[in-house]
Amino acid sequence: MRWLRFIIGLLIALTLHSLLDSFFPNALAFFDPYIILVVYYSMGGNVLGAIVAGVMAGLVQDAFSGAIFGLHAFSLTVCAYIVAYINSRLMLRGTLAFGANLGGAVIVNELVIYILVNILLRQRIEMFEQGLIVKMIFTTLFGMLVYQLLAILFREEPIEATKRAAGW
Amino acid sequence: MAAEVIPRRPTLLFIVVLSLLFVLMSLSSRTRYIGDTRTLFERTVMTLFSPVPKAVNWAGGSAEDMYHGYLDMRRAVNENLELRRKVASLTTENVKLRQTDSDLRRLRNLLQYSEQFNMQTSMAHTIMIDTSGRFKAVIIDRGSGDGVEVNDAIVNANGLIGRVILTTNDLAKVQLVTDNNSAIGALIERTRRQGVVRGDGTGIVEMHDIPTLADVKPGDRILTAGIDGIYPKGIPIGNVIKAEQGPNLFKHIEVRPSVDFGTIEEVIVIHTRKIPTEVVRYAP
Repeated sequence: MRWLRFIIGLLIALTLHSLLDSFFPNALAFFDPYIILVVYYSMGGNVLGAIVAGVMAGLVQDAFSGAIFGLHAFSLTVCAYIVAYINSRLMLRGTLAFGANLGGAVIVNELVIYILVNILLRQRIEMFEQGLIVKMIFTTLFGMLVYQLLAILFREEPIEATKRAAGW
Repeated sequence: MAAEVIPRRPTLLFIVVLSLLFVLMSLSSRTRYIGDTRTLFERTVMTLFSPVPKAVNWAGGSAEDMYHGYLDMRRAVNENLELRRKVASLTTENVKLRQTDSDLRRLRNLLQYSEQFNMQTSMAHTIMIDTSGRFKAVIIDRGSGDGVEVNDAIVNANGLIGRVILTTNDLAKVQLVTDNNSAIGALIERTRRQGVVRGDGTGIVEMHDIPTLADVKPGDRILTAGIDGIYPKGIPIGNVIKAEQGPNLFKHIEVRPSVDFGTIEEVIVIHTRKIPTEVVRYAP
């Protein structure tokens, strides 16, 4: 069931990606639907599942963007791992907790991308700090809204906590 | 064995996955700017998920087409309404212009006609027409205050209408040539034979006093002879439609008036030179 939800979420994220690409080409610089999905899934606390989700979502994002193939997969996997690891210990729940996780994940994601682009392509990302702040704000707000809507829609906590503890 | 190890060691898996991804990225960044940049793995992922962007593009394109279609339709509807308004406005304008053109032509004809007379003339409008009864008359909007007098001749561009028989200060009553009591000195244009044209109250006038041997044919034009002291010479009265042997020494001639009395609008009043009463008194 969780994987089905993830696949549906991934298709929705890809649809959003395509829509934004078609009608608002610059919007993806300020908003990332894939990271919302990955954080949402990783907050279940299943580290293994989170890694797989991060890789899958990242690869799909890479396949349909102009980035180096694997770049977003790498960064999203890092984010998924961190979020899943924290949630396996703290069991954070609620819209605000989701927003905090998401905001942090966006910062980590952007930092990882920044470092990888520097290493692999020896390029600097222009206006990185401004882009990071805007992306964090918009993605977090949108993610919280989606979380709240899902909570209303399913009338329960959208994140299914896993019973499985993360190993270290 | 491996299946048991992996769940217990997600960090190990994490590191392995990151390493693999790093290798993938290195390969991808190396081939990024040369020829076929997409690796097989990348192409596989793209192929797997390609229906989604295709569907989005199709839906977006269809929605855009529908939206533009709707906009075009709205524009066409507005344009249609605007064109209808224009057509209505232009039709009205066209009717007005035609009316103006017709008025202008009629007035021009009238003006040219009035210039033929060396007597004083003035224009008048008919305000009442009574051609239905036995007594045929029209009322014009000029009276004695405008110099109109009894026995002034009334004509239009087509020919003779009649004479003034009554005036007030601002109106005048005109006896039509078709009236039962009307009598006009006339001549046949072709042969210059003179006679008297009388109305018979039916819309047709008759020409009297033309001898049986006189040459008269249907179609002959009848003009005023200018011998009655009322009508100037040469005004068309009508055309002969029937000329046959009468009961006595004269022919029975029927004349169709050249004026359609039902359509009279503007008329010319010819202020005829009146014969002094002394002359009339000693006339034979």
